[in-house]
Amino acid sequence: MRCMTAVVETEGLTKFYGDRRGLEDLDLEIRLGEVFGYLGPNGAGKTTTIRLLLDVIRPTRGRMTVLGVDPRDARVRGRIGYLPGELALAGREKASEYLSFLAAARGGVPRERIAELADRLDADLSVRMGKLSKGNKQKIGLIQAFMHEPEFLILDEPTSGLDPLLQQEFLAMVREVRTAGRTVLMSSHVLAEVEHASDRVGIVRDGRLVAVEDVAALREKAVRKVEFHFDAPVPREEFEGLPGVRELRVEGASVRCTIDGRPDALIKAAARHTVVHMVSAEPDLEEIFLTYYGDEETRHARAAVEEPA
Amino acid sequence: MPALLSKSLRDYRWTLIGWTIGISAFFGLYLSIYPSIVRNPEVYGPAALAKFPGAMRDLMGGMSDFTSGVGFLQTVVYQLIGPMLLISCATILGNRAIAQPEEDGTLELTLTLPVDRRRLLLARFAGLVLGLLVIAAITFLLVWGLAAAGGMEVAGSRILAGHTGVFLLALCCGTLGLAVGAATGRKMYASAVVGVVALGGYVVETIGRSVDAISWLGWISPFHYYLDGQPIQQGFPVVDYLVLLTATAVLALTAVLAFDRRDVGV
Repeated sequence: MRCMTAVVETEGLTKFYGDRRGLEDLDLEIRLGEVFGYLGPNGAGKTTTIRLLLDVIRPTRGRMTVLGVDPRDARVRGRIGYLPGELALAGREKASEYLSFLAAARGGVPRERIAELADRLDADLSVRMGKLSKGNKQKIGLIQAFMHEPEFLILDEPTSGLDPLLQQEFLAMVREVRTAGRTVLMSSHVLAEVEHASDRVGIVRDGRLVAVEDVAALREKAVRKVEFHFDAPVPREEFEGLPGVRELRVEGASVRCTIDGRPDALIKAAARHTVVHMVSAEPDLEEIFLTYYGDEETRHARAAVEEPA
Repeated sequence: MPALLSKSLRDYRWTLIGWTIGISAFFGLYLSIYPSIVRNPEVYGPAALAKFPGAMRDLMGGMSDFTSGVGFLQTVVYQLIGPMLLISCATILGNRAIAQPEEDGTLELTLTLPVDRRRLLLARFAGLVLGLLVIAAITFLLVWGLAAAGGMEVAGSRILAGHTGVFLLALCCGTLGLAVGAATGRKMYASAVVGVVALGGYVVETIGRSVDAISWLGWISPFHYYLDGQPIQQGFPVVDYLVLLTATAVLALTAVLAFDRRDVGV
């Protein structure tokens, strides 16, 4: 589908490394102002897609535009911020010197902007690049990706190596970018890492895009565990056969079930009695993918996803 | 100075400092023994050197007169060791341009800057030229000073001619390494190609001259365009040096085209 406001548009994008398939027939659209979660096990083709968008590697066939132009035009990268999945920083240079170089090559970034980000992420810029810890490297990577306030952020496995506190700070930075109307592509092999920040999620597996889903819509389709406690025993019949209700258990004054989709009918049935207590568990999107794409392939993908990187 | 060029020079800085010190120490040590050699002609004079096998003398550029300033300087600095030292340094710098950052992964982020790949490569090449120029200039001043102090009686213009040749030869080999690295992304290939061309080229130009089977290969050896004109004895061989410069330019252009076409870091 052609769209005036697409930040990324690919058609039949394919990359083979010799005989090995990196990516095949990718049709992807990332819309202006959204946070797109790009999900898949390691080696599925996430990084291949990202490196194609950045013109580090060239497609075997297919076409793509980034911010409306061919990525071969180097100028478009001035409007992109990029965090590599395996960020390599080496040498005797201090992190601050390296950031100054990147800033200068991007046409200049105010010194205060770098200092502000370093402060926010608690990064030490006086350390030599070759001596940075994994966590500190990732901080330097985030600073250089965010510092020039790009229209489009491409973040490959952004949360790897960050401690939980910094993950929260990072997610706050991503939300600010979205509030400012800018666009983010964020890859991960764990859904939980991107689900709270993403508007849509695409799943890539074995070099192919398996599904693209709206996170809000997914939540609506979510299977939730729900519990009601009443002030007196309730008849089971009133809760049987309600749309979406499954695994119904009525024990005296309590009702337990799972609800698939909207809980409206269930709530209205419960409202006829006096509710003293109610529990509804946050839906697990990982669960949803399993039920929603409950085929062999997704189960397989999930198994791979759960392997530690 | 443009950001890319100053970054290149910073990347080369420690290699440059190390090799400048190393080459200077080597030249300083060897050139300072000249006075004692002049005092012992029975050990180092033409009659003594004639005892060496012919092929050995060919390999060392004839070794006809070790006791004259020109002969000593040629044999010790400008025949084999000086050029090889500068070629080694140039090869390392050439590798630092593309192949090494590609192998250690740091090139990826540089490529995602809003900089055309061709411009990036030219900045790395310019860094190689400037870096080698600095080493060549410092070592030239050193040799010139020691030659004057040791009473070698070699004109400064001849030393300049010889040193210019060493610089152009090393630059050509370094650019060859850079081009192989830019085309393949592998340090090992670049070093291997330069090694074969430099050592093979030297052997062809020296021993090979008297071996019919390989003497025709002389024109392809970069050493031919440095040694054949005998710059220390005869002054600037302008045409030969222009050949080295042209070859360097062609190799740099090849590097630009090859690097612009390929996938990086795969």
